[in-house]
Amino acid sequence: MARPIHFDNVRKEFQAAGTVHVAVDDLTLTIPEGSFTTLVGPSGCGKTTTLRMIAGLETPTSGRLAFGDEDVTEQTPQERNCAMVFQSIALYPHMTVRENIGYGLKVQGVPKDERNRRIDDAGETLQITEQLEKMPAELSGGQQQRVALGSAFVQDPDVLLLDEPMSDLDAKLKAELRVEVQRLHQELDATVVYVTHDQTEAMTMSDQVILLNEGRLEQFAPPGELFDDPVSAYVAEFIGTPSTNLLPATVERREDALVLASDGFDVPAPESEFADRVGDAVTVGIRPQYLSPNGGTVEVVVTAEVVEQLGTEFVVHGYTPSGHAIDAVSTTFGSVQSGDELRVGFDPADAFVFDADGQTICHGDELTGETVSRAD
Amino acid sequence: MAIGEGAAGSIVPQSVQKRVKRISLIVVALLVAVFVTVPVYVMVAIALQSPTAVFAGGDVNLLIKEFTLRNFRVLFDDTNTVRYFTNSLIVTASSTLLSTSLAVAAGYGLTRFEFTGKTIAARAVLFAYMFSPIVLAIPLYVIFFSLDLLNSYFALTMALTAISAPFTIWLMWQYFQTVPISLEESAWVRGASRTRTLWDVVLPVARPGYISAAIFSFAVAWNDFTMARVVMSQDEMYTITVGASLFLDRVSIGWGETMAVSLLICIPPFIIAVFLQNYLLQGFNVGGLE
Repeated sequence: MARPIHFDNVRKEFQAAGTVHVAVDDLTLTIPEGSFTTLVGPSGCGKTTTLRMIAGLETPTSGRLAFGDEDVTEQTPQERNCAMVFQSIALYPHMTVRENIGYGLKVQGVPKDERNRRIDDAGETLQITEQLEKMPAELSGGQQQRVALGSAFVQDPDVLLLDEPMSDLDAKLKAELRVEVQRLHQELDATVVYVTHDQTEAMTMSDQVILLNEGRLEQFAPPGELFDDPVSAYVAEFIGTPSTNLLPATVERREDALVLASDGFDVPAPESEFADRVGDAVTVGIRPQYLSPNGGTVEVVVTAEVVEQLGTEFVVHGYTPSGHAIDAVSTTFGSVQSGDELRVGFDPADAFVFDADGQTICHGDELTGETVSRAD
Repeated sequence: MAIGEGAAGSIVPQSVQKRVKRISLIVVALLVAVFVTVPVYVMVAIALQSPTAVFAGGDVNLLIKEFTLRNFRVLFDDTNTVRYFTNSLIVTASSTLLSTSLAVAAGYGLTRFEFTGKTIAARAVLFAYMFSPIVLAIPLYVIFFSLDLLNSYFALTMALTAISAPFTIWLMWQYFQTVPISLEESAWVRGASRTRTLWDVVLPVARPGYISAAIFSFAVAWNDFTMARVVMSQDEMYTITVGASLFLDRVSIGWGETMAVSLLICIPPFIIAVFLQNYLLQGFNVGGLE
C-alpha cells in the first residue's frame, strides 16, 4: 500500500576529520502517496543521503521522518517496507537470478511455490524469463539492472527507492529502462522516489521533482513548473539543456519608464516590481530555446563560437558584445559559421529576472504585465 | 626503454623480445625444478625402497628399482608416528578453525564498524606479524607454565593461532574491503537481519578470502616446529614435525624411515593444494599480493 513520506525538519550531519559536514539541511516536505518523485541535484547535494534516510540506512541527526501516520525515524531498514535499487546494482554473485529476485520473499518466509510464481511474473514483466536460471555475472549490464528492478518490484513495497540506477548504462538502454521504470510505477501500488543527477530523467519521468542545493531544498514542484517558474537562478540554470543564459543587467530609469539595461539590449520593466530597485544589479535569464532570429522584441547580438547539430536543431555557443557566454537553439542556425555575428531576439514574456542573491524577482509574464490575468 | 618494458616502441625487435621471454621462462623453470623437484624425488626414492636397496654397494641409488612399504611398517611398529600424526592433525585443525574464525570476525568488524582505536588496532595487527615465532615462544611458555597448560592441545592451538592470526586478520580485512557494502544494505532493506545477512550474503561472497586464510593458517600450524617444541615436552604429545626431527637421534631409525615420515608430512598439504588451489589464488589476488 502506497504511503506518503513526510520530512519534518530532517537534518543529517557527517563528522569527518573533526569538521561537521551538513549533508541534508532542515528538509521539510511531503512526498505524496503513490507519486513518482525525483530527487535531483548536482553531485554532493545530499540526494543520496536523503534517499538512504528514507530506506533507514542512515538515521537523521535531528528531525522526524514518517510514512503516513507511522513515525519511522528510529526504525531499522528491516522494519520499513521499502525496496531499493542501488547504483552499484548489488546483485548477489553467488545466487542465480531467480534466487536474487526471490531473496527478499525468502527472508519474509513466503512459501516456495508462491515465491516462484511471483518471480516468474516479475521475470515476464521485465522480459528476463530466459535469464532466470543464470548467474548475474553472465548477464549484460542492462539485464542486471532489470534483475535489480525485479528484486525490488517482486516484494510489493510501500516505498520504492531508486538510487541513480541508470548512471552506468548507455543512452539507448537508459531510454528503454526509463519506460520500464515508469511502467512498473503504474503497476505497483507504491510511492516511488528516484535519485538522479540527470535532469532529463527527472523532467521526463516524474510527477514531482525535488531539487536540492547543498543539502537545502531549492524547489519542490512538478517538472513543468520547475521549467516555467523557477524560484531561483540555480533552478533555472540546472533544469533544461542547454542551461538558461544568465545575463547581468541593471535597473535603470529611462525618461518615464523603467528598463533592465544589459549587454546592448533593454528589457522594459514594470513599475510595480522594480520602482524601488532602481540602480540594483539583477540577472536576466533566458532559455536558449527562446532565442532565435526574429524571436521577439528584445534583440541581442551574439558572436558565434561553436555550432552543434542536435538532429533538426542547432545549438550556437557564443558570446555577447561584452563577452558573456550565451547559447541559442534554433532550427535556422544551419549555415552559421564560427565567428559570425547574429542578431537573435526574445520575447520578454519568456524571460526570468533574478536579484543579486539569485532569487526570482519575477517571471516573464509579470514583466509584460500579464500578472493580473494569471492571478484570476 | 628496458627490454620487455612495453612491447612496442622498444629498441629491441618484438620477435627477439618474445624469444628472450620464452628462454628466460624455461631457465627459471629449470632452476625451480632443480631446487624443488629434485629433493622431493630423493625423498620419495629413499622412502619407497628398502635401505638395503638404496645404499647397496656403498653408493646412494636414486633410481627407483623396487617398491616396498617396509619403511612405513617400521615407523608404525617401532615408533609413535601415528600418535604424532594425530596430534598434528588435532592442533592444526583447531588452530586453522580458530585463526580463520577470528580473521573473519576481525575483518568484518574492521571494515564495517567505526570505533575508537581502529587504526591503532589495525597497525598492531601488522606489527604483530613482524614477530618471529621464537620471540613469542618463551613468553608463551611462561604464560602456559603459570596456567599449568603445558602439554595440552589447547595451549599449542593458542600458540599456533598467535602466529597465524595477524596475517589472516590482515588478509580478511583486505578482502572484506572488496565486498561492496551495498550487497549487505540491499539484504537489510529486504528484511534480512544483520546475522542472517552475514550467513546468506557476506560469508558466501567472502569465501575465496577465508579459504585463503584457512590454507595459510593450516600451513603455519602443520609446518610449525618452534611452538610444538616449546609447549609440548611429553613424547605422546609431540607433533609430527617434532617427532620426525627426533628420529635422527635414534639408532634404530635410519634414513629410509626418516624419509618415509617426511613423505607422510607432505600428504595433507599436497591434498589441500590440489583441491583448493583456485581459491588460494583468488584470495591472494586481493590487496596486491600476486
